[in-house]
Amino acid sequence: MALVSNILTQVFITLISVVGVYVLTGLTGMFSLGQAAFMAIGSYASGLLVVKGGMALAPAIVLAVLMTTLVGYLVGYPVVRLRRDYISLVTLGFGEAIAALLNRMTSLTGGASGFTGIPRRTTLLLAAVSAVAAIILVAFFKTSKYGRQCIALRGDELAAKAMGINVTRVKMTAFLLSVALTAYSGCLYAFYMSYVDPSGFGWKKSADWVIMVFFGGVNSLTGSTLGAFILSALPQVLRGLQNYRYVIYAVLVLLIINFKPSGLLGEWELTPRNLARTARSLGRKFGTRKETH
Amino acid sequence: MFLGEATKQMSLQIVINGLATGSVYALIATGFALIFNILKFSNFSHGATMTAAAFTAYFLVAAKGGGLAATLLAAALAGALIALFGEFFGFRRITLKHSSPTYFFVSSITLGTLYEGLVTIRVGSNFYNFPSFFKNPTIRISGLVISTGDAMMCIISLVALILLAYVIQKTRLGRALRAVSFDRDTAQLMGINSTRIIQLTFVISGLLAGAAGTFLGIKYTLYPTLGSLVVKGFIASVIGGLGSLVGAVIGAVLLGLIETLLLSLLGSGYSTIATFGIMLVFLLVRPQGIAGSNIQEKA
Repeated sequence: MALVSNILTQVFITLISVVGVYVLTGLTGMFSLGQAAFMAIGSYASGLLVVKGGMALAPAIVLAVLMTTLVGYLVGYPVVRLRRDYISLVTLGFGEAIAALLNRMTSLTGGASGFTGIPRRTTLLLAAVSAVAAIILVAFFKTSKYGRQCIALRGDELAAKAMGINVTRVKMTAFLLSVALTAYSGCLYAFYMSYVDPSGFGWKKSADWVIMVFFGGVNSLTGSTLGAFILSALPQVLRGLQNYRYVIYAVLVLLIINFKPSGLLGEWELTPRNLARTARSLGRKFGTRKETH
Repeated sequence: MFLGEATKQMSLQIVINGLATGSVYALIATGFALIFNILKFSNFSHGATMTAAAFTAYFLVAAKGGGLAATLLAAALAGALIALFGEFFGFRRITLKHSSPTYFFVSSITLGTLYEGLVTIRVGSNFYNFPSFFKNPTIRISGLVISTGDAMMCIISLVALILLAYVIQKTRLGRALRAVSFDRDTAQLMGINSTRIIQLTFVISGLLAGAAGTFLGIKYTLYPTLGSLVVKGFIASVIGGLGSLVGAVIGAVLLGLIETLLLSLLGSGYSTIATFGIMLVFLLVRPQGIAGSNIQEKA
């Protein structure tokens, strides 16, 4: 039971980051390879505020998320007005720079040996509630004006601009929302593991999240959530295959990209209306089969 | 201002080290810029290609007593093969279907994860050292100390880049390559087999990646995440102007010089931050880069 709860907690924490990546990649078509660095900032900042600053948990998390979002703004500011390639290149550089900085500031962060002694406060319930809240938030964002603007500019930035969408601002909004979600997941992570070190936040982790989003379906929040659930629970269950994990992931995603580029679920979203429609079409399928007999 | 003899010596030393570092970055940046040019996406598998090629050369040649030339050749060939593999399994269908550029991106990071994963399965997280290829590890010229590896790196990179410039500017293949990167469909209509040309571009990029990986392995050590140094090549491309080969080389040399200077002033951790900051400032002030070829997203 402890094992299951451990796995689920970690899956829920990952889920929060992945829905953040969904906002950035799925909705807006931007890729961040430094997303994990924002998680690192969130976890170090909240951890430091509690352990060395003596703050209570909740305000520390709020402050850490705000700080990370500010950093995100500074990184995003020069980038969102440019071609979308720049954001992936710049965030990749940002991730490396943050890792170097965390390794270097030994007196504050413990350097490469990690930052220990964070109290263990994240429970399964907190993680689950947070994940659900994050998913609902993103679902509302997707159907809101902003979400539709994001989808419009993902398809064609120039056309979106011609329709009067402030492309720069919408891109920035999406970027900051995803940064804030990732930072929050970093806070939960720090207070769950009670230990963080810089090596876990490289570009591999950011790439992992993008892969999860694409695995389930880049255009569907349901798909991305499902993809994150499957791909982050899988390696926890199959611990013996730890080394092969990335290879298996990669092969799966290559297959999906080549043969079903829209991902497992495509555009399908889990809404009551869609469920009813699917049920009806399934019924019709089985119905006709009976008639032919 | 009066410069003492020792200061002058030291600044000269920094310039030389910077040029050596810059020349490897130039190899990385041009390999990256070639693919960017022809398919208009950032190839994030470039770093892992470097690592995988360098490790292949290490196990097949260097560990069995091969010399520098043989190792470099093996690495370059391995890089080319890996790049061809990537082109076929990662990018071919997407290119032919004219899919959204986001798929190129995902494909490239997936390939990167795949190569790095395979290397990790083979070597674990151990560090490997290339055998010392040179009898004299350093050359002394009137008080300046140059590592032989750095000197070789500079010379070989220069030769490779000149060769590349010649192929692209003066040969039929190069002209076809430029035509395809300008407009793939029109080039195809003009009788150029654009799939072949794209394959060729990947081969060249792979050759460069293999050489760069070996040099990085000699300069530092070989380890599975060596490929993350590719970020230097990316920064160089951004400074120089995304998609421009000349810009990539200029940016790389500039980055090498700046980084070596910062390294001697600030130490390793902060210099990484500082170079990142320089890139951000560059993007704010001159987003089209030094070469000024600002590629806008096509409507």
